[in-house]
Amino acid sequence: MLLRNSLVSNSLRATQVSLRSIYSSYNNTLSNRSYHVSMVNRAAAGAATANKQAIEIPDDIALETHTDVQAATKDQADQRSAASSDAEITDALTSGTTALNYAYRQDTGFGTRPIYMDMQATTPTDPRVLDTMLKFFTGLYGNPHSNTHSYGWETNNAIEDARKDIASLINADPREIIFTSGATESNNMVIKGIPRFYKKTKKHIITTRTEHKCVLEAARSMINEGFEVTFLNVDKDGLIDLNELEAAIRPDTCVVSVMAVNNEIGVIQPLKEIGELCKKHKVYFHTDCAQAYGKIKLDVNDMKIDLLSISSHKIYGPKGIGALYVRRRPRVRLEPLLSGGGQERGLRSGTLAPPLIAGFGEAARLLKQEFANDEAHINRLSKKLVDGLLSLEHTTLNGSALHRYPGCVNVSFAYVEGESLLMALRDIALSSGSACTSASLEPSYVLHSLGADDAMAHSSIRFGIGRFTTEEEIDYVIKAISERVKFLRELSPLWEMVQEGIDLDSIEWSGH
Amino acid sequence: MLRSVLRVASLRVSSPSSAMAMKSGAIVGSRMIHYSMSNRTPGAQFQKLQPIRFYSAAASNLSKDDVLTRVKDVIKTFNKNTDAEKISLETAFNKDLGLDSLDTVELLVAVEEEFEIEIPDKIADDLKTVGETVEYILSNPESN
Amino acid sequence: MAAAPSKTQILSLYRQLIKNSKQFTNYNFREYFLRKSRLEFKQNMLQQDPVKVNELVSKANEELAVLKRQAIVSQLYTFDKTVVEPLDTHHKKH
Repeated sequence: MLLRNSLVSNSLRATQVSLRSIYSSYNNTLSNRSYHVSMVNRAAAGAATANKQAIEIPDDIALETHTDVQAATKDQADQRSAASSDAEITDALTSGTTALNYAYRQDTGFGTRPIYMDMQATTPTDPRVLDTMLKFFTGLYGNPHSNTHSYGWETNNAIEDARKDIASLINADPREIIFTSGATESNNMVIKGIPRFYKKTKKHIITTRTEHKCVLEAARSMINEGFEVTFLNVDKDGLIDLNELEAAIRPDTCVVSVMAVNNEIGVIQPLKEIGELCKKHKVYFHTDCAQAYGKIKLDVNDMKIDLLSISSHKIYGPKGIGALYVRRRPRVRLEPLLSGGGQERGLRSGTLAPPLIAGFGEAARLLKQEFANDEAHINRLSKKLVDGLLSLEHTTLNGSALHRYPGCVNVSFAYVEGESLLMALRDIALSSGSACTSASLEPSYVLHSLGADDAMAHSSIRFGIGRFTTEEEIDYVIKAISERVKFLRELSPLWEMVQEGIDLDSIEWSGH
Repeated sequence: MLRSVLRVASLRVSSPSSAMAMKSGAIVGSRMIHYSMSNRTPGAQFQKLQPIRFYSAAASNLSKDDVLTRVKDVIKTFNKNTDAEKISLETAFNKDLGLDSLDTVELLVAVEEEFEIEIPDKIADDLKTVGETVEYILSNPESN
Repeated sequence: MAAAPSKTQILSLYRQLIKNSKQFTNYNFREYFLRKSRLEFKQNMLQQDPVKVNELVSKANEELAVLKRQAIVSQLYTFDKTVVEPLDTHHKKH
């Protein structure tokens, strides 16, 4: 009721303002643009009468914006509105034999926008985060590095508050948080910066085969600079072997980089044990926590972590911001990627972005505040989803069942091609793996490292569950997947052979 | 949604000749004042809305049976385990349906949505049974 | 410090939270804030300590303010409903 009144008066005011601006534009255009005059004239005349009789609020089109960027679902919406009679719907249901006819739920009583289940790619921005950010786009626009006036102090304070919130989640000191553009930049800073700084004495980097592309590529580029890189193997659960790691550490190793939670299969590496090993051999330990930060318990002191990468948009914060934790005692030194004004302890020059950082900070604060409730919610939904999907035959969960973050569920559906399943699931936003590599049809290198064969790697789908996922959505997903996996298998000759009891391994494939 | 809210609100503000105002002239006027007052001092809301009792004079034109059926539907949607057959005017939210005070608040919000009314806090706190709720809905001329 | 808020005040706050959560046009945000409000109030239903109650109420008040603003933002930029949302929940009656 409060809201209604304030909006009414606002829109009234807005109407008056816009009328006034029509007037002034009329006067301005009168002299040099005769073409417009008649139209504007009419508008102005209308405005004048409206003003006299007062208050006739036009349909305020600009106030509510229906975002028109939903091409993917638009066709479907059109189709549905066209097929409004029951008869036509039944017709569409029965006549369709292609997979795409099964790509949507066919009853018209529901919306068309897909369920978002790709939380590892990115997460929706929490409204509370947006609320924090908005004031930095309206009033608080000072440069946080301006220390001569209050505009600068305001935004600087906001940044320092955010730094505290971000640090406290991993039990770090706020001064150890360096803001970057995201986890990719943080990872690059470490993988390139540390070896470059210590290049006179150290020549060796250790990482794993299942890292995110940005770590793998950064490491590969260091090979070109004359460094040696060891890529550790993982077992079938996706975990590294600590003995293998210890054996790989050399006197000239400068950094070990192992991700905390894998972005494709969600397995959690034994961080504490790795930290102890690195400490024992006096090697820096970096961990990419883009998928782990705020979702599993992390403690840089307990786990002996020296460097830790964080991404904001994986924790319901804004995109385009992230952080790197860099230990101060004992001090970790690295060569910065960017040269400039020496902001962020000289490690990352460039003006900080207060709206993004404040949003990032709020997202971190909320993670801490909501940790228990979020965790319970995600665990419950994850269990339901895993149980539901694995109850289908010939379906396997990829990665360790024990050491995993429940919000990332990667499942292989044998005898179904992942890409065609995704095509048949247009009403659910899913991915067969990392967003960066899903443009190519290459099977996932992560699943390959687990020893999965091409077919299994091709038939895998990743489900992401987050704070905003609902039980209703999980039920829908289980039902949709079950139906469509069955449907696609019916089309598959391999499936037919399996049903007839033919061992596929005994077949000799010709050609290719 | 917002747009429709705006339109409804602007109708109230802008056209005193609307049918609704014809029916209950002065009351609509006084209600407007309460809206804007509560706008400034939200705490004063309950007291200022007291005259809403006047509405019992201009009751809604829904039938009691109809209201009861719809309240039952709301209860059923709210708590799927409820046996709709057993709900009567005597059914108490707490004693018979096992709803605590928070559940009752939520149920009444759902009732408000169903009948497009606003139940003032003070009245909502006193509604303990299906019968009392039905009576209130019938007494509110805005119900539909 | 002020006296602990009355039951009526707390229920009124809860009512406001529920109503404003329902104002979100985005399905996931709407469901989340409803779930969160329910859960937190139920979790603290038996809270007796007046200091703690005051703390919880003032925090809920802050969150209510955020909800009010963000519900408006959600109404300003609307999207199609998702596949689990019924298109018309209201008034199938008469």
